[in-house]
Formats: sequence, structure tokens, C-alpha cells
Amino acid sequence: MGLFGAIGIASSGVAAFRKVLDATSDNISNIHDAAPTSGKAFQARYVVAQSVNYATGEGGVDVAKIQLGGNPGGRVVYEPSHPYADAEGNVRYPDIDLSDQMGLLIIAQRGYEANLAVVDRARTAYEAALQLGRNT
Amino acid sequence: MLDDVTSAALRTAASGLARRQRVIADNIANVQTPGYLAGRVSFEGALRSALDNGADPAAVPVALTRSTGPTNLNGNNVSLDEEVLSNVETGLSYELTLRALDDKYGLLHTVIRAGG
Repeated sequence: MGLFGAIGIASSGVAAFRKVLDATSDNISNIHDAAPTSGKAFQARYVVAQSVNYATGEGGVDVAKIQLGGNPGGRVVYEPSHPYADAEGNVRYPDIDLSDQMGLLIIAQRGYEANLAVVDRARTAYEAALQLGRNT
Repeated sequence: MLDDVTSAALRTAASGLARRQRVIADNIANVQTPGYLAGRVSFEGALRSALDNGADPAAVPVALTRSTGPTNLNGNNVSLDEEVLSNVETGLSYELTLRALDDKYGLLHTVIRAGG
């Protein structure tokens, strides 16, 4: 924690939600990745957050791990004209739900904005503190 | 005179409010963290009773507790709207306290100048 604690804590939150935004946009951009049925389908990435120095209540947040979600088998779709199609004409697509991902995207965006609003509020408070004793 | 009860009480209030603002920042940063319980900072009650009993306001502890409110499925109980409102309120209280402290220092300044 630096000299201006609240700003540092909020920036850890901004960084964590940035990671969620990145992971979610990665999931959405790979939502239609085809794979041969002999391989594994793309799996959605989920950011798992953990608090830092929970006992002090001023440590901010950190990314604990990136967890793979959904079924590695994905959805098997009959698409005989696809270059990856097996003898039965099937290919694998990822088991990712677009509306789920859009929901996560909105949550991440709101979280990101909320942390930036904290930075703004904290800056006003610190500026008031810097004015102490100036006018006397 | 330089360490009177008014400035000591105002300084305790300012540091308690600053801590509350950091804890609110922590709550908002952890709004999606599994198992995180919202932090709450309390010092007003202890400060009031110290002032009532003539105790030293500078020795008033700033306590951190965890909210016992209902949690989400992931064990988190931070309510974003509550935190944002509390943040605004805490920020304004902090500015008010600093202004009072500044005015107090202004009075001291006037007294010192009158002597010279």
C-alpha cells in the first residue's frame, strides 16, 4: 500500500476486473472454435479472485487462478462438410454459452467502473488533506 | 494548547474516516471474490464515550469488523450500492473533519500572530 492507500486498493480492483474482461472476451472470441472429435474443445476461462491481507481489510484483491469451465468434450455437432469432420461427420465445438459470457462481461465492466469511481472519490479526499494548513 | 481535546478528537476522526475509506475501497475491489465478507470500520461510538468520560480521544481504537449480512452463492456479501453510497458519505465526512481541523489550526495561527 502506497502513500495514497485507497487509490492503490482500487487499482488492484481495476486490474482484477481487467483480467475478467480479458478472459471473457477471450471466451467470446473462441466461442466457435471447431476441433476434431479426437481432440478437446476450447474451454471457457474463469478468473478466480482472492483478497490480499484479508485481516487488515486494506490489502486489495489479486487473481488467485484462472479456472477452466464447461465440458472439455464440448458439443459434438454433425457437420460433414467441415475439414475437421471425422468418419461420422462430427466436429467438436466449445461448451460456452454466449449469454452467460455477455452477463459476465457486463458484471466485469460494472466492477471496473466502480473501482474507478473509488479512485475518483479517494483523490478528492486526498486533495482536501493536502489543503490542510494552506490557508492560514 | 497545541494538543487540546478538540484537535485530538478531530485527528482521531480523520484517521478513522480515512481507514473506512480504504476498507470501502477493499470491499469494492473484492466485490466478486469468493468467501469475502464486507469490512466495517467503527470508531464513532468509542470516540463519543471517550469524550463523554474525559478520556484521551487520541487513544480511541479504530476497529475493523466483518459484516454478518447474508451472502451470495459464492460466500460474498458485499453490496455494491451500499458501498458506493457509504464511500460518498465517508468522503464528505472526511472533508468536513479536515475543514474543522484546518479552522482549529487557523485559530492557533491567529493567536500566535497576535503574540508577535
